[in-house]
Amino acid sequence: MNQIAAWRKRLVDFLFPVQSDRWLTFLRFGLGLQIVLYTLSLRNDWNYLFAATGNGLVTRDLAEALLPLENGFVPRLGWLVALGAHLGVQEETVLLAAWICLFCAGLGLLVGLFCRSFAILAWFLHLCAAKSGAFVSYGVDDFMTIGLFYLMLSPLPDRYSLDWRLRKLQPKNVLLLGFSQRVLQLHLSLIYLFSGLTKCLGSGWWNGSNIWRALTRPPFDIIPPEIVVRWHSLLPIVGIAVCLIETGYPIFIWLKRTRFLWLLAVVAMHAAIGITMGMYLFALIMIVLNAAAFGAGVFALTCAQPGKARGETIASVPD
Amino acid sequence: MRTKSVCLAWFSLHFLLLVTVSCRETLWLVARRLTILPGGPGSYPQKAEGVAAAILGQHLAASNPLRQTFATYLGLSGIDAGYGYFAPNVANSYRLLFELHYPDGHTEYRLPRVNRPAAGLRLASLLEQIGRTQSDALREYMVKTLAGSVWREYPEVKAIRATLAQMVQPTVADYVRGKELVYEPLYTYDFSLDSDSIQQSNQ
Repeated sequence: MNQIAAWRKRLVDFLFPVQSDRWLTFLRFGLGLQIVLYTLSLRNDWNYLFAATGNGLVTRDLAEALLPLENGFVPRLGWLVALGAHLGVQEETVLLAAWICLFCAGLGLLVGLFCRSFAILAWFLHLCAAKSGAFVSYGVDDFMTIGLFYLMLSPLPDRYSLDWRLRKLQPKNVLLLGFSQRVLQLHLSLIYLFSGLTKCLGSGWWNGSNIWRALTRPPFDIIPPEIVVRWHSLLPIVGIAVCLIETGYPIFIWLKRTRFLWLLAVVAMHAAIGITMGMYLFALIMIVLNAAAFGAGVFALTCAQPGKARGETIASVPD
Repeated sequence: MRTKSVCLAWFSLHFLLLVTVSCRETLWLVARRLTILPGGPGSYPQKAEGVAAAILGQHLAASNPLRQTFATYLGLSGIDAGYGYFAPNVANSYRLLFELHYPDGHTEYRLPRVNRPAAGLRLASLLEQIGRTQSDALREYMVKTLAGSVWREYPEVKAIRATLAQMVQPTVADYVRGKELVYEPLYTYDFSLDSDSIQQSNQ
């Protein structure tokens, strides 16, 4: 029994560390920026991508109809359009309003005004778009949903937000600061573990052919193949490096000695994906999540003595 | 103490689901022999995939409240899919080419288009889903919808032929030898305003 109690205590100590709210600033600001860029990048295609039959690229109705039956309670744009129709508002106007609200939520998160409300609004509207546009969604949407879900549940506001500075609001339960960050850290570790493991199981990552294919595959072929081929002897090294960085992440990101190196490697990897494959939003969301999970600790000069950090919110950990 | 207990309970369930979804996707790949590991029907990975699906309640009826609760939670938290991006290997991409036939007999070629590169990535994702779907009806419906978007742009067109092709990339060695990207036609659909008919041919 004593051993079980000891294990439980160790687990609790691990999951509820004393933590400043610096990481939450990274997450809020980063996700705000991500939402703003996401909406701006789709401003000319928003209605085209999400309209229903007759007006869009593919019908939104089809994507919503094909959402698994058991996902009946997952939000979708069709709900908002139906509500708008009930009030006599056209689909086009409802979609535009959704875009504007999402953009404003991004701005709100960026400056930290009405953090909680905007985090919930951003999560809801982005999820609506991701699910209604299931046919046109890709990895960036999964990670934005994950990030916004955690942000929404985190003890907002952080000290750099306008909510704190102007509205004098403070989080009600600072105990959750360390816990929320731990959850994000563990989630990222699992993401890279499975992503790396699955890559290791593909032969193309060991001989570099997957790097070649990824870089020359439309629409990711930003670098002309004749340039990539000049560096073809490096492709296996890059492929193996990607496998090592991702599979090693759940170990080396937790070790103090290797944390900075691994964070640098993973950020460089995502930046390279963004630049060489044109996946800027995907690169940004991954860098934001990494920066929030592990970057805040790495770059914080005062983190060595959290209890003495100047004026920062520190969670007390009562038993 | 109560807050901690609630957090611990949520954490346990959340990560159980997260690990199960990720394991199921990896096992799915292995079971279908898409990795370097041995798999196939009746193999250990396939059985393990069944166990993972059972944990997620996917063996229950779609109307089962437990299954619905799990599925909804997975969707809301964004953990309903695994993380095998570009893995185990980078798959071929697809191209949909529209052949526009005008009443005066001339023909033009168009690709589905969007306004900005960010939406272009989404379009590529759409074409991938059209190319990969096993459902002929769904594929035809989606191609027809895309053809409709082209028709709205060129209303004077009499008929449209849509060809879905798989892009086969050359290897580095083949590229050095001068081989280029090849488009292998998979399906062709003919849409006509006159007869409102659709004809499909698989190639």
